[in-house]
Amino acid sequence: MTSRGIVIVGAGQSAAVAAHALREHGYSGRITMVGRERHRPYERPLLSKAVLVAAEAPRLDVLTDDAWTRSDVELLSGSEAVALDLQRQHVHLADGRILAYESCLIATGGEATTLACVPACRAGVHYIRTLDDAHRLRTALQAKPQVAVLGGGFLGLEVANSALSAGASVTVLERAPSLLDRFVPPQASEWIEAKLHAAGARLLLGASCSGVHSLPQGRLRLSTSTGDLEVDEVVIAIGLSPNDALARDAGLETAAGSGILVDASCRTSNAHVFACGDCTSQRRAGQAAPTRLESWQNANEQGRTAAAAMLGLPLPAPAVPWFWTDQGKHNIQMLGLPASDLEYVRRGSPANDKVLWIGHRDCVPVHGVAINAGADLRAVRPLFERGRRVRWDDFALDATNLRTWAKQMQADVATTT
Amino acid sequence: MDWIKVASAQELSNDESKTVDVAGYGVALYRIDDEFFATDSMCTHATALLSEGYVEDGCVECPLHQARFDIRTGKAMCAPATVDLRTHTVKREGDHIYVLSPAGK
Repeated sequence: MTSRGIVIVGAGQSAAVAAHALREHGYSGRITMVGRERHRPYERPLLSKAVLVAAEAPRLDVLTDDAWTRSDVELLSGSEAVALDLQRQHVHLADGRILAYESCLIATGGEATTLACVPACRAGVHYIRTLDDAHRLRTALQAKPQVAVLGGGFLGLEVANSALSAGASVTVLERAPSLLDRFVPPQASEWIEAKLHAAGARLLLGASCSGVHSLPQGRLRLSTSTGDLEVDEVVIAIGLSPNDALARDAGLETAAGSGILVDASCRTSNAHVFACGDCTSQRRAGQAAPTRLESWQNANEQGRTAAAAMLGLPLPAPAVPWFWTDQGKHNIQMLGLPASDLEYVRRGSPANDKVLWIGHRDCVPVHGVAINAGADLRAVRPLFERGRRVRWDDFALDATNLRTWAKQMQADVATTT
Repeated sequence: MDWIKVASAQELSNDESKTVDVAGYGVALYRIDDEFFATDSMCTHATALLSEGYVEDGCVECPLHQARFDIRTGKAMCAPATVDLRTHTVKREGDHIYVLSPAGK
């Protein structure tokens, strides 16, 4: 065994950002990264979009060649950590190797949640989590097949839009009676539904799938609550299950639902073990229960936070959660987290494909939803960061320059508190 | 060297941007502290016009994914952008703003 250093289990977005941040902070010890896939850390947002349909393969590396080289990471790709020995501070790999650590960072991400009624590895059945998954679906889409997408969440809808643009015929099945209703106001949900119809998709709401049967010529028959459906390919996008088994088996605390429980510094219940990204459930100021955020931003922020914490440095200021999805040519963004008790104010109109909703609680902004209005959402971000009451009277007026207004409201906040 | 007249100074307030046509090429023109700067209008990360982004502290943020660029140097300041933005030379004569044609470089 060699000298102890930092062992990062996982080799995705959060892992790469953490490794880079460690070096930026001047850490000169050994960094070993354990990755199950045979790729250098890559970004996942484009797997459901450009990777499926773009003529040219997009660049996906999290770090530029230069930044990756400077990060001086020993990447053990195609390797899997199978056990964590907290006492000895060892990570055990599937091939028998043992890595000793001074600090361990778990950045194992998650797996696409599987549908129990669909046997794994069935021809024509797709999950979208890895680059290899996306390449397989890309190949299948080239035949302009009939596709069923199970799950009308952000990922499922992105895949549906991509498949449509590739010339496939697409049916989306969603169990809930409306799309994304836990995340966006009803008007936004209706807008998303209308755009999907306009793009040519068939949408079955309140529909669930109870079985997938193989037919001759590679076709598939789906048994659904609204009748049988025959297609060439089925894409299952019903959520993400965090890879928290390594932590759980080692005796680290995990959240009631799922995810490795971490504090504001991304430290787990063991002082030498940290976790970041999709696999975590984090205790956050202002949130009653620990929250698990599946977002690009969260992977980056937690990677940086964990790096600083492992080195005993001051933590970066916590960022307001931010999320984007590209649906066909439309960009939807969310700032903050949704809640059931918010009152929404609206600027712009869904009819013009450009609109911003702000959900507030007693005039304090809590949740923003922007359709093709990212710059407007960005302009009001300081108001979220301040977390104080705002006079929303002029927010919706056409005559209001939102940027100027937001600055006035910030000054207002400053003088009234 | 072709200088193309693209705007008059009062068309932009500080921390504002607009896309202008420079010999058939889309360029984002910015006004910062009453000085004018220009970069390529298309983000190096995704298909988005930076002139519709958010300008603050000498940087522009892409409206789609918040990639941030230094307007004076074009340097990509944060993920998801890793490729720098091309900058263009600007001059002001009285009220008129000129950009050096990319083709003339």
